[in-house]
Amino acid sequence: MSENIERRRFLKCLGAGSLMLAPLGCSVKEQTAQDAAPHYVMVFDQNKCVGCGGCKEACNKANNLPEGRSRVVLEQQSSAVAGQACPHCGKTDCDCQRKYVRVSCQQCQNAPCVSVCPTGAAHRDPKTGIVTMDASKCAGCKYCIAACPYNARYINSETDVADNCDFCLQSKLAKGELPACVQECRYDALVFGDANDPNSYVSRLLAVKDSVRVKAHLGTEPSLRYIPIVKLGV
Amino acid sequence: MDGTLEFTMGLSEGVAWPWPIAVYLFFAGISGGALSVALFIRFYKQQSANTPFLKASALIAFVTIALGMLCLVLDLTNPLFFWRILVYYNLNSVMSVGVIALSAYIPLVALIALFALEEEIRRLPMLAPLLPLIDKLRPWRRSGEALVLVLALAVCAYTGFLISALIRFPIINTSVLPALFVASGLSAGAAAAKMLAVGLFKEDRHSSDMQILHGAEWPIMFAEALFLFMIIMSLVTGNAGAQSAFEAFHTGSWSMVFWLGVVGVGFGGPLLLNFATGERFSHSSQAFYLSGLCAVSGMMCLRMFILYAGQNFAI
Ligand code: SF4
Ligand code: SF4
Repeated sequence: MSENIERRRFLKCLGAGSLMLAPLGCSVKEQTAQDAAPHYVMVFDQNKCVGCGGCKEACNKANNLPEGRSRVVLEQQSSAVAGQACPHCGKTDCDCQRKYVRVSCQQCQNAPCVSVCPTGAAHRDPKTGIVTMDASKCAGCKYCIAACPYNARYINSETDVADNCDFCLQSKLAKGELPACVQECRYDALVFGDANDPNSYVSRLLAVKDSVRVKAHLGTEPSLRYIPIVKLGV
Repeated sequence: MDGTLEFTMGLSEGVAWPWPIAVYLFFAGISGGALSVALFIRFYKQQSANTPFLKASALIAFVTIALGMLCLVLDLTNPLFFWRILVYYNLNSVMSVGVIALSAYIPLVALIALFALEEEIRRLPMLAPLLPLIDKLRPWRRSGEALVLVLALAVCAYTGFLISALIRFPIINTSVLPALFVASGLSAGAAAAKMLAVGLFKEDRHSSDMQILHGAEWPIMFAEALFLFMIIMSLVTGNAGAQSAFEAFHTGSWSMVFWLGVVGVGFGGPLLLNFATGERFSHSSQAFYLSGLCAVSGMMCLRMFILYAGQNFAI
């Protein structure tokens, strides 16, 4: 199972639960010091996601978020055109064609939220390169929310500060585990790992699958990859 | 294969920056604009007296920037976190740079107001404790004025840079915005200070200061219209995202705010009052105040339009 391979690899990389060792631990013999910096990516496979929402619940629990709030939501989409026969079942009114898109922080390599934040609360973790929050610095100005092209940030109603998906950097990764949503997904729709490591499962997956990034033309260099449903027929 | 997959949902609801920010942009523009114009005139005519226009500008600049700060703080999700913006800095952030400019600008505006309103302060026994302070700081007046002129323009411009950094909104993400905000700040600031100078500080409506202002008004307004035209043209001729944002100018209620408020009241009002009415009315005090009010409300509509219509049309 991809998830297990990935988990084993990941645990090995993190050593004794210490993220600091990740860049060192991951460096396989042929890698040199400078390309050892990780680039964590997440792959969302639209062909596998059934929209069960397990990832949302796991996120809520893992990150102690207020009731009903997660750092990820799923958008249901349909290629059916309103008023026309469904390309799938032929009926005009159906709900048979479901496809989902993960909506969450895209972990931009060139993150507008980080560059606009006046206090440095929205920042890039120096060791992992993951965009995360220092809640104790956030002034709640919402500049980052206005600046994020993916509308992927929100104000946590309990702490009154801004928040985004940080691949569970402060909750799961810190303990050497995979992000909560990745662990939870029973359908293997989520894969997480270091794209800079040629041997990681994500690297190998991305090498053989066509994946896309959302709004890549904005130049934010998102780290989320999507494997879209390949359109059948029509 | 980029672009075959999109999502339209988001995690935050509504616009990130609601009306208090538009009001702040308005106040900051008036404050910086009024003071810049007054100091321009002061340096240009090498005035040393406290003219009514300088008094009015200094008072307006101080009051509006104070109210603007109030809007900013109240718009934070928790106003008690305000100190964090003053303690932590990120020099890549326009907001952080703005905070630095404002924290020099605000005390300096207070100082300029103290000097400009010295006679008034002398007349009010309540404010007597300020007098020794004024005397002590007097040697710094000239350099303070020069510095605050730069800062006042910087504050006007920074409000434009602040929002033009938002790359997902084609109406807002344009390099012309700071220039537009400076021009409209100058015109509305001057209009507000003019009204106060005449109304409160008994300036003659036909004094030489007023004459200069009257002459400067039209070129500034022309520049403003030109900048707006540039933004509109860049949207019309731009990529698909820009073209769809152009809709903001002809559909929905914000287009009304633009055509009625910005164009009708802001540009049309003063033009009609000055050139389309008889000599008698256009020189009356009603026309004077009305056209001032038009300029100020037009600018408020402009800030509202840019902020709301801008955030409603994301790419
Ligand atoms: S998706 Fe938004 S919140 Fe996430 S890194 Fe990019 S700009 Fe920041
Ligand atoms: S809301 Fe917080 S994290 Fe976002 S820009 Fe403002 S201070 Fe930074």
